[in-house]
Amino acid sequence: MANHLRFVARTVMVQEGNIDAAYKALNRVLSVDGIIETVKRKRYYEKPCRRRQRENYENCKRIYHSEMARKISFISRTQRQDPWVGS
Amino acid sequence: MHKLNCILSNSVRSACQQVAGSFNAGGSICGTSGLQRAVSSSAVRLQEDASVSATPGKISKDFSHLPPMPGQDSVLRWAGKKYEELPIAHIKATYNNTHVQVTDCEGQFMVRTSCGTEGFKNVKKSTPIAAQTAGISAAAKATAVGVTFVRVLVKGLGPGRLSAIKGLTMGGLEVVSITDNTPVPHNGCRPRKARRI
Repeated sequence: MANHLRFVARTVMVQEGNIDAAYKALNRVLSVDGIIETVKRKRYYEKPCRRRQRENYENCKRIYHSEMARKISFISRTQRQDPWVGS
Repeated sequence: MHKLNCILSNSVRSACQQVAGSFNAGGSICGTSGLQRAVSSSAVRLQEDASVSATPGKISKDFSHLPPMPGQDSVLRWAGKKYEELPIAHIKATYNNTHVQVTDCEGQFMVRTSCGTEGFKNVKKSTPIAAQTAGISAAAKATAVGVTFVRVLVKGLGPGRLSAIKGLTMGGLEVVSITDNTPVPHNGCRPRKARRI
């Protein structure tokens, strides 16, 4: 971050000496931005073949989880209007 | 280039202030996740933190998680100093050690301690307890020079990351804000090869 906008990005103010909450907020923001996993990944070099395998795996995992969540929310809709009213 | 940065940062800042305003007005946490994803789609470096509201009962006055911007005049003062003039405590938390250095706002060096200067050796330097003692001694030396409020700059993901800040507060320094300054290369130098254990 050096000198571009030094204290603007990735900054959390501390309220009434409550550093734990501030640190948690900071961690939450960083993990949402994906900085923590990027730093961990770049600690050692990741070869391009390994990187392609990992991206593929993450895509498949994401598709599977979204489809499963869709299925579960569909199945758990038990309160529905009766489609065959009158019969 | 600099003008472009300024314009971009101004637009991002105004957008995020609107977002923060809507947060403070609404006060509900369920809407934050969607908006946070929208905010994080912009560049990482010029990014503002989306202000996450704590439990609604605790927010007093208008405390925001965002720091005072360099362009705006904020009313907050700590020991009579504005946010830009507070001294800075750099904490470098590597995997094997933790360094704590307190400088003033221009970067002039004031206090420096690390786990090694505390008398720990080798593997004991990479523990949170060593980081805490380094923080305490740094705070003691800084209060001897005459520093009360400090903003913290953390670099690296090591075991001493949180406990060094805790040591600073235990030693008597007041922490005003926490910034994360971990160096993230945009694919610069090639790191060392992967370990095979």
